[in-house]
Amino acid sequence: MTAVSEDETGALPPLPLPGERNCPFGPPPEYEDLRAGHPVIKVACPTGVDAWLVSRYADVRYVLGEPELFSNRAGVAAHILLGFGGRDVPVGEGEFPRMDGAEHLRFRRHMAPEVSNMKRINQLRPLVQKIVDRQLDVLANTPPPVDLYSAFARPVTTAVIAELLDVPEADRPLFQRAAEALNAGASSAEDVAAALRPLFEYLYMMVVTRRADPGDDVISRMIVRSDQTDRPFTDTELVSMSAALLLAGYDTTASLISHGIVALLEHPQELRRLRADPALAGNAAEELVRYLGVGGGLLREVTRDTEIAGQPVKAGDFVVVAIQSANRDGALHPDGDRLDIGRASGAHLGFGHGPHQCVGQQLARLELTAVLGTVPRRIPTLRLAVPFEEIRFKTNSAVLGPVAVPAAWDEIVPALETEG
Amino acid sequence: MRVEVHAERCIGSGVCALVAPDVFDQRDDDGVVVLLAEHPADEHHESAYEAAARCPAAVIDIHEAG
Repeated sequence: MTAVSEDETGALPPLPLPGERNCPFGPPPEYEDLRAGHPVIKVACPTGVDAWLVSRYADVRYVLGEPELFSNRAGVAAHILLGFGGRDVPVGEGEFPRMDGAEHLRFRRHMAPEVSNMKRINQLRPLVQKIVDRQLDVLANTPPPVDLYSAFARPVTTAVIAELLDVPEADRPLFQRAAEALNAGASSAEDVAAALRPLFEYLYMMVVTRRADPGDDVISRMIVRSDQTDRPFTDTELVSMSAALLLAGYDTTASLISHGIVALLEHPQELRRLRADPALAGNAAEELVRYLGVGGGLLREVTRDTEIAGQPVKAGDFVVVAIQSANRDGALHPDGDRLDIGRASGAHLGFGHGPHQCVGQQLARLELTAVLGTVPRRIPTLRLAVPFEEIRFKTNSAVLGPVAVPAAWDEIVPALETEG
Repeated sequence: MRVEVHAERCIGSGVCALVAPDVFDQRDDDGVVVLLAEHPADEHHESAYEAAARCPAAVIDIHEAG
């Protein structure tokens, strides 16, 4: 318990974060003791804020499900990333992740038809399958070893979101650079702003152009639908929604794909199950989100004096909910530390919970399911090209996962006719 | 079983239409929940319960009687 108790000087223990020394798939080991003995404890976070750390499934779900008591105003990652809000930073025009209540709902419902309406998602299934198969065709012509993160996962997720927004191939590196700067915790707030500026300028031009001449893409449809609402969205608000889809949409999913592939290669029995029965892909996607999701936790701000699991907390206090810890809680699954692609893992909090639950979750499920249903079948001899111990994992980022996945194989078999 | 939805809080996540597509649909213009079956057939009870439990905005209530 030494790592999570106050020392003699009364200094707060640090927020336990993923580190090189830990298992690269799970939460830091301190969380088991926290859930057992200190389910709500004050910690010091890397960006300098102190927060109540909540580690049990039921309590995390409670906090995320009570948005009137626990506000998003400060920004969900302000405990680990600079340039991501903070209590004293005004909410920008269109910065919906930091809005609460009806203001936030207005944005969610405008994006929903594009990314979370299941009819729309089902229509996108063939496109996503084609993108996955095309990228595997490219790999088939590349002699291994190949890094599956930069040569497979990122090209796939980039192509999906770029197809949806209709971003020309030549312009795609712009949002890759912006996403990298945004997710790297070491950057200063100024660096993040500088990296994002070209992307926002680009998207602004895109909104202006498509307002004048709408096409059949997400941005054009959001513009057209906006004009039919009681309170049409400004150009800046439309840029903000487009940027959120671009930035959140590609690196989180790409990291989960590469993290998931490494996890499956290290659990060969699960990988064999998936190869034998590709229909398990949807379930495996859900289980990998439970098993690997949201390592750094999410930040909330208390709006009025209340309690969390009997611990009094005051208005203005910060709360960090430890998603990974909650998803491993024995109260959710007695064997929560085991990866089991056959389990009913749907009650996990890997996409969050409450009104701010991941807006791109259905797109993430779609992409992950296509990858998991295809890669084991088309690359039956897939293996790491280096010993597992040499795989490095990101620790200073809001989006976790391997830095690179050097992989090898004997052969990549052709796509099924029906897959193309 | 009787299913009740409180659409005013719905965020259009699509979780209900994902897990219980025979019971829930979504409006085209804003993704908000549409109740397809107020009294779902027996074989859809389990998925209706799962949708209610997983709804991020706690929009779905299930009444055993009715």
